[in-house]
Amino acid sequence: MSSGGISGALIARVAALSVAVVFFQIGVVSEVPVFGVNVDLSPLLVAFAGLLCGSVIGAATGFAVGLLVDLALLQTLGVTSLVFTLIGYWCGRLRELRDPQAALTPLLVGAAASAVSLIGYSLIEFLLGVDAPVSLALLRQIVLGIVVNTIAALPMWAIVRRSLEGALPEDPRRRRRRRAYTTGGLSPLSRP
Amino acid sequence: MYDKTVRRRRAVLVLLVVLSLLLLTAYFGEAPSGRLHGVQRVFLTVVSPIQDGANKALKPVRDMFGWFGDTLHAKSQRDALLKQTNRLRRELVADQAEKGSYRQLLAIYHLDQLSVNAYHPVTATVVGKSPTFWYATVTIDKGEAAGVRLNDPVINAEGLVGKVVQVASDAAQVDLITSPTMGVSARISTSTTTGILQPKLGDPNDLLLQYLPTSAKANPGEYVVTSGTLASGQDSLYPPGIIIGQVTSTNEESAYRSVNVRPIVNLHNLDVVQVLTAGRGTRASKLAGAVAALPPGQTSAPGTAGGEQLASTGAEG
Repeated sequence: MSSGGISGALIARVAALSVAVVFFQIGVVSEVPVFGVNVDLSPLLVAFAGLLCGSVIGAATGFAVGLLVDLALLQTLGVTSLVFTLIGYWCGRLRELRDPQAALTPLLVGAAASAVSLIGYSLIEFLLGVDAPVSLALLRQIVLGIVVNTIAALPMWAIVRRSLEGALPEDPRRRRRRRAYTTGGLSPLSRP
Repeated sequence: MYDKTVRRRRAVLVLLVVLSLLLLTAYFGEAPSGRLHGVQRVFLTVVSPIQDGANKALKPVRDMFGWFGDTLHAKSQRDALLKQTNRLRRELVADQAEKGSYRQLLAIYHLDQLSVNAYHPVTATVVGKSPTFWYATVTIDKGEAAGVRLNDPVINAEGLVGKVVQVASDAAQVDLITSPTMGVSARISTSTTTGILQPKLGDPNDLLLQYLPTSAKANPGEYVVTSGTLASGQDSLYPPGIIIGQVTSTNEESAYRSVNVRPIVNLHNLDVVQVLTAGRGTRASKLAGAVAALPPGQTSAPGTAGGEQLASTGAEG
């Protein structure tokens, strides 16, 4: 059963992947510091779900992953959901409007998603009134966080794409093949 | 058709954003015993066995990554530890002579009943950790069922780790000493003047011992320990003498002196911790309850020994 290209199989796969990634993040990745900061796979997952599945699935995944993270870590409910919803929607719109195919796209999207996540989160926490001395170290943490998340973006992209392949509303690779076919470049009839 | 798709897409976005804001507002406005907090505790109770299982299954993976980091730092750590061992050996010889008389004094004034030995340590395994520096928290696999209660201090073999801030039946959340919400009443081990130890946001390897009088002396390498008094605005009474960190540098300010402190505990790699639970009816439990019930301003003020007097009074009562 599908509605607007969104099938039950796709939703099930995204849900299973989200749960697995969140628990892997909490149980393993958060325990292993890289350059003094932790890799955060959750915004990468949300961004890539949006980039592969579109804005509606991206926003919904962002909300659900954010809620799961806030529930599991007893954080302020709604903060992560809000930030991740916007990340997922924005990445989905990027796919719908531009459909970028460059090899570096996941890297750039991962970096942007991490930046939005870290800066957005910090802004909301400040608005909620954190009573703590703030120094340049905070800026360093944000920059380092973006760098290590960008490093993790390509393997994460491969995992998300492999997990969702086959259930995507419109497989970009298939679409590329179709484009090439219609322009005549790879037509089986033209092969010797 | 196109309009319908656009409308649906925008409706989903607006719905989810509004839902997030509603959750945020409701959660932020309610008391810790409120409904949404309760939902979180129930969720933690449900997922803690899964987290525990996943933690055990994935421990080899975590250890493998940790091994690389440990190896890189091994040589410098070994050199620093050799120097430290030599210094501590000299100090041990000097201190042993004073130890006997100190114990006798403690027993006379009943202060030994407020030390770590007065608590019942509950050993717990860390099963989850927050990835963001805004929440320096870990989740442990012991909760109310094991006697863990709100605000219980948490330590490990190295020193102070944090305190319990949320409790479910079989799990609890611990705020680490680097959490922005934490403040610990502490002193330099060679001095009796207390200050408030708070984290520096964004720098997990640096704490700030604030509000020390300008006459207070602090040399790099000296240990900072819990004072056993209550920090203003905090609800946890940490037993005195738990090591927190080492002094790295001092800062002169107008009216007070502050000291930079490097945590002694490796908070990035917590595996097993101990929750210091005070059994009901014990002197430590009664004192913690009495002090927590005091109105603001009645607890120890920064830089004074008011809390010390309070602890002594409670011990005698």
